Amino acid sequence: MIALLKQKEWSPYLAGALLGVVYIASIAVSGIIPGASGAFENVAGLIAQAVSPALANNTYFKFVMPPGISWEVILLAGVFVGAFASAKLSGDFKLAAVPDEQWRKMFGNSIWKRWAIAFVGGIIIEYGAGIAGGCTSGLAVGGGLFLAPAAFIFMAGMFASGIPTAILMYGRKF
Amino acid sequence: MNEIILPLVLGFGFGWSLQKAGLTKYHKIVNVFRFTDLAVLKFMMTALAVAMVGVFALSTFGLITLPTVPATYVAGNLVGGLIFGVGMAGAGF
Repeated sequence: MIALLKQKEWSPYLAGALLGVVYIASIAVSGIIPGASGAFENVAGLIAQAVSPALANNTYFKFVMPPGISWEVILLAGVFVGAFASAKLSGDFKLAAVPDEQWRKMFGNSIWKRWAIAFVGGIIIEYGAGIAGGCTSGLAVGGGLFLAPAAFIFMAGMFASGIPTAILMYGRKF
Repeated sequence: MNEIILPLVLGFGFGWSLQKAGLTKYHKIVNVFRFTDLAVLKFMMTALAVAMVGVFALSTFGLITLPTVPATYVAGNLVGGLIFGVGMAGAGF
């Protein structure tokens, strides 16, 4: 058991089954489908209220994603702790500005390049999730388990644009 | 149950499973779009299937009430997904 907890990587099927149990527990106990992207919008709304209340005074923040420390924000805090504990316990944790070997091989060691793409990519992801009504966790898995058409339309869109993006970035090495 | 402890514990399991599946790593995310490593899909679809069986078993026995299913609005889901995919494949989150 301890050896399993200290393993650097699990089979995606085992890890996925654990996530499935998390979904069951969440829906059974609190009636909420876990999602990640909504938390960022709740916090963004809080920041908007603090910086410029006029900015937060729109339909989206009033009705769709109210600002505040929501259930999802606390969930996200738990996500950080859980991922950190998993990485630390298995010795997989390290701080690095450009951490991924495949990235370095393809795009070099430039910190700015990695951070700029990570920053812009984060904005694009959050914007897309905002329009779609969720992300890979809350919509694709959380909707998919109810066979909600939204989940499958979202995943189709995700791959329809993700594949050409990867082709563009990887060129002949795709 | 507690409105703070419960999401923290659930989040812990969430983050733990993501890290153990390797989904905190750039190459795992981008490689699913290159079809060289399907861990993202194996992970997501297993979670989906396990949760589906568990949730509907519990609801069949009348132990839980089902939450509101994410709304389907074709244009929004599709356009959102198309935008989302660019960021996901580009940044590897």
